[in-house]
Amino acid sequence: MLRVEGLGHHFDGVEALAEIDLEIAEHDVVGLIGPNGSGKSTLLNMITGIYKPSAGQIRFRERIISGMVPHEIVSLGIARTFQNLRIYKRMTVADNIWAAQHSLPGVSLRDFRSGKQDDQIEQLIDVVGLGPRRDELAQTLPLADQRRLELARALVRSPDLLLLDEPAGGMTPVETQSMTALIRDVALPGRTCIIIEHKMDLISALCGRICVLNFGRKIAEGPPDDVLKHPRVLEAYLGMDGARHA
Amino acid sequence: MDEYVVSVISNMGMISFLALSAYLLLLTGEISFGQQAYFAISAYLSAMATAMWGWPLWAGLLLGAAAAAFAAGLIGVLTLRLRGLYFSIATLAFAEMVRLLFVNFHYQVMIDGEPVGPDGAEGFRDIRWIFEHNVSAFEYMAIILAVLTVVVTLFFIAERSRLGSIFRMLGEDPLLTELQGLNVIRYKVLASCLSGFIAGIGGAFYAHFATYLEPQIFNVMLGVHGLVYGLIGGLGTALGPLIGVALDIGFLEAVRAIQGYRMIVFGGLVAVLLIFMPRGILDEERVHWLRMTWRRWRNAAR
Repeated sequence: MLRVEGLGHHFDGVEALAEIDLEIAEHDVVGLIGPNGSGKSTLLNMITGIYKPSAGQIRFRERIISGMVPHEIVSLGIARTFQNLRIYKRMTVADNIWAAQHSLPGVSLRDFRSGKQDDQIEQLIDVVGLGPRRDELAQTLPLADQRRLELARALVRSPDLLLLDEPAGGMTPVETQSMTALIRDVALPGRTCIIIEHKMDLISALCGRICVLNFGRKIAEGPPDDVLKHPRVLEAYLGMDGARHA
Repeated sequence: MDEYVVSVISNMGMISFLALSAYLLLLTGEISFGQQAYFAISAYLSAMATAMWGWPLWAGLLLGAAAAAFAAGLIGVLTLRLRGLYFSIATLAFAEMVRLLFVNFHYQVMIDGEPVGPDGAEGFRDIRWIFEHNVSAFEYMAIILAVLTVVVTLFFIAERSRLGSIFRMLGEDPLLTELQGLNVIRYKVLASCLSGFIAGIGGAFYAHFATYLEPQIFNVMLGVHGLVYGLIGGLGTALGPLIGVALDIGFLEAVRAIQGYRMIVFGGLVAVLLIFMPRGILDEERVHWLRMTWRRWRNAAR
């Protein structure tokens, strides 16, 4: 479904990604891990067209999407969330979710706020647990709820490929557990997904495969249990000494 | 109605168009110091249409506003890649260019043995449409207010529509908005055109109200006022810029006791508000609170 071939990117001479190959089949759930600055978010930014690759290409359903602009790419059925949470803070929860609908065909001007409530949207608000807060401004929500809102907004477009960038970032263990369950039960069924996360419990619980980046290069790929024991992965995460002691 | 009151209200009405046009761009996240250019373009063009070519006022107004919208769209395209301060500087520079263009713009025709038309720095005299058609000051005020009511109503409708929502999305986070599948460029240029059109309506009314135009009127202070009205009144609703206008012209200018101190009081008010209420009196939070309170009250009353 998604094929990344020889992808490279540099910022003013600093190599952010190099020679990345990644193939993701329909309904795969792939964890993307690596230390800070290893290029994980850069990869998502390139898939969604925010950055243009300096080398290689990205295909989505056999169509080359590298070089397309973001609004064209997401219209093909790709949605994402952000590590640094991006929501419309001065809009209500419901309006935030509507916001994702505006570009979809068949959504008429009249449907929006005309008193007619879209069942799918209301259902989604309830499923992510924001029902009681649907009319509150997004900026007043606690962080965990803001992350749920972001997830709901990504889901409302029914994307085929979902890209989650640290969906449990900044959450307590209890909140992380409920987010893990939410992703498993609501976001993943019937979808292909790439998840970036530092919390390995979440990655192990959700991902069938892990890809590890370090200094912009892929250093390991495979099932979670194997990859997390891989010496180069331990080295990248814990340093040389840590790897020796582990 | 007292002549003075009529002229203050007419003034408030005309400047409200400028304030609404700057407000529209503020919603999309852009601070324009150049809306006076569109006001000026339409003032000159509509006056030329009525005074020199014998067009009716409504046609001159439409022509002026359309030309202003076109100019604004062009500037919108040219400044697409500029954000924040750079956008503001570009709009300011454009407005000064337009003003200087009118300083050097001479185009006159002889009507009844008198030259009529823009004469550079000497200005453009005898824009006599309202006298020739026996429109009283009160009637002209009523026309301005009627058109303003239509425009504000359209703003309210837009606020509740997808378009209004998209403009606010753009203002909060253009990248996120692009990632909702929306062609951000298209909506930015559209917002620019609409803002030019609205400023243009005000400019056309102004030309025929003042009967005399000179380039100096359209300097940066006019643009700053138009911009600040929205920031004072609040960016949560289209009533915001109108509140700003009412505060400045309706209160500070009209109350004669503080007339000499108007700019000092106004400047201080702007400074204090920007510190304590950076998005104005009726900002999104207060408007949301009012909306929720109204809804609760209405539900309780049922």
